Amino acid sequence: MISAPVSRRGFLAGLGGIGAAGILGACATGSDDSSGAASATLTLQSSLSDPDPKAALTEVVKGYAKTPVTLNTIAIETFRAQLPTYLNSGNPPDVLTWYAGSVARDYASKGFLLDLSDLWTGNGPCAGFSPALKELSTNDGKQIFVPTNWYWWGLFYKKSAFQEWGVRPAETWDEFITLCKTIKSKGVHPLTMGTGSTQWVASGWFDYLNLRVNGADFHRELLAGRHSFDDPKVKTVMDHYRQILEFIDPKGRSYSWQDAVTPLNAKKAGMYLIGAFITTAMPGDDLDFFRVPVIDKNVPLAEEAPTDGYFASAKSRNAQGAKDLIGYLAAPEQQQKFIELSKSSNLPTSSKVDTTRFSPLVQKGIKMLGESASLTQFFNRDSSDQLQTVADTALTKFLDAPEDVDKILADWQAGAKKVLGR
Amino acid sequence: MTTTLRRVPPVVWVFLAVPAAVELGMVFWPALNSFYLSFTQWNGLGAAKPVGLDNFRALGSDEIFLGALKNNVLWAVGFGGLSVLTGLALAVALNRPRRGVGLYRSAIYLPMVFSLAVTGLFWRVQYQPDGTINTVLGGLGLGGWEKQWLADPDTALWAVLVAAVWRQAGYVMVLYLAGLKSTDPSLDDASAVDGASPWQRFRFVTWPQLRGVNTVVFAVTVIDSLRTFDIVWAMTQGGPYHSSELLSTYMFQQGFTFLNLGYASAIAVVIFAMALVFIITYLVRATKNEVEA
Repeated sequence: MISAPVSRRGFLAGLGGIGAAGILGACATGSDDSSGAASATLTLQSSLSDPDPKAALTEVVKGYAKTPVTLNTIAIETFRAQLPTYLNSGNPPDVLTWYAGSVARDYASKGFLLDLSDLWTGNGPCAGFSPALKELSTNDGKQIFVPTNWYWWGLFYKKSAFQEWGVRPAETWDEFITLCKTIKSKGVHPLTMGTGSTQWVASGWFDYLNLRVNGADFHRELLAGRHSFDDPKVKTVMDHYRQILEFIDPKGRSYSWQDAVTPLNAKKAGMYLIGAFITTAMPGDDLDFFRVPVIDKNVPLAEEAPTDGYFASAKSRNAQGAKDLIGYLAAPEQQQKFIELSKSSNLPTSSKVDTTRFSPLVQKGIKMLGESASLTQFFNRDSSDQLQTVADTALTKFLDAPEDVDKILADWQAGAKKVLGR
Repeated sequence: MTTTLRRVPPVVWVFLAVPAAVELGMVFWPALNSFYLSFTQWNGLGAAKPVGLDNFRALGSDEIFLGALKNNVLWAVGFGGLSVLTGLALAVALNRPRRGVGLYRSAIYLPMVFSLAVTGLFWRVQYQPDGTINTVLGGLGLGGWEKQWLADPDTALWAVLVAAVWRQAGYVMVLYLAGLKSTDPSLDDASAVDGASPWQRFRFVTWPQLRGVNTVVFAVTVIDSLRTFDIVWAMTQGGPYHSSELLSTYMFQQGFTFLNLGYASAIAVVIFAMALVFIITYLVRATKNEVEA
């Protein structure tokens, strides 16, 4: 008991030390080279928050024996908003799920991503991937991304519903408008679209209409900032968008993309332009899809084929371990296991995966992508997550007030300029 | 003066120094850094680039910021006014001991137990197109009033406000209940004997005795309304198209989604300045009144 005051002082001195360390350590703008020893556990930050893909990744990660892996799954909308913060933190996750294309390049050019070129050469796990995938994963001559699966977009519908209403998929724009009118005459909303908490869904139609009206090259250049969003060519796209507004279920403005599947499933809505990931929200054989109708025959066919995969943080404390884990995740066996367990309709990036056992729907998807002259990713993936936010504002406003289209496009361009200029 | 200082044993100084060091290191230093950052352009990597007053000048012409500023004023007035009025009314109504009054008090205080994010999710379900609120309106024959509350730019901010007040009113009620307990019941009884109406008794007898609590409630409300973030983020994320954007949500988006840390810090400085102006004005008035009285 005699020693009690002494130990208390020691404790206090320790506390004071912590306070002082706080003062020294809080130097927010100081350089941040955390060159600690390779950490024993790897952190895999995942945005795969839907139940099946989450369970699938958990199962695949369990099979990795070399280093213990902590899998952090975060709701995707939060992940999207926080991703820059994750990458920028002092002790970032080692490996993260995200998207190929400009969005990954954008983070790479800010210095956030680890060089993964080793994985793409010699006997590396990605050495056999297609040149198009390699190009998609490259920034400044270095590969900074490893794609593990991809999927397609289309107009999804229920076969039984179309049979009931006596309608067939449309191939041209005029046929499509007629199809919408017919479905509407049955007292059903022809289109469903969840743009409440998932506003990016509204970009699906924008992307496709731009691809069909102006073609893939213009679309890519527009999203890279080489054209203006108030260009007359974009106005034409919005004119087409306006034609379908009356067919979209207005309640979708309060829904997430998942909520908006419910009316489709209940036959209260006819079609949904969405990615093949819809099969996780609506399993079964009744679901089918068709290609977004052709508007201009002279424009070569282009489809959205977003590619998912992994990148590693430049500040990872165990860069070698991070690369090894990514290599494991990209191997054909793991790709196959993930796709099967996640019950998704994603396609493998490795040609060594046997796709013959995949469902007829997926076979149809593979065939459609094979027939396309060019492939794009998606709005945010072909631009950046920041530009997506600007597009979300513009497009949701357009859904509410299509008559203000000129002002909306002008604001969109002003917002884009701000994002690209910084 | 010096003798009293000498009488303080050193261990007390150590006790005082520890929280002071922690406060300095964990609160004041980061806050000062934020002031510094507001004069720079920084994306979190490398060195911050000083840009002088550019960030503040850009704020002046940023429509989204100005909209958020306007919303924040509306929010402060609406949130403060409604939660204080409701809380005070509830406290007065539930002040006198009566059978079952404890049950009412607990029920009204209960929402305070939930985090703001949970409150937001709960109300988001109520506001769904086919949710409770629209169903009830339809059931009452008021189908014409049905709206997509959170997806309509005219109603989104107010819909969130109702949810926030629902939670805050119970808190304000508890503060006022504590205040009412410390008032002198004999004054109230005396004025009743003198023939004062209930309103007069409240206005001229009870209310002046609540001055101390008012200061606390005012400070708490202003600070809570300026730092509101989670409930808006959980319900609308500032949408549709920035119509329910507050300074805090816009700061978050600029800072952590766009990584414009300098610009976000400038917004933070504006929030700080607003809080300071409100609080100082009020405290000055309150102390002046006290001196006069």
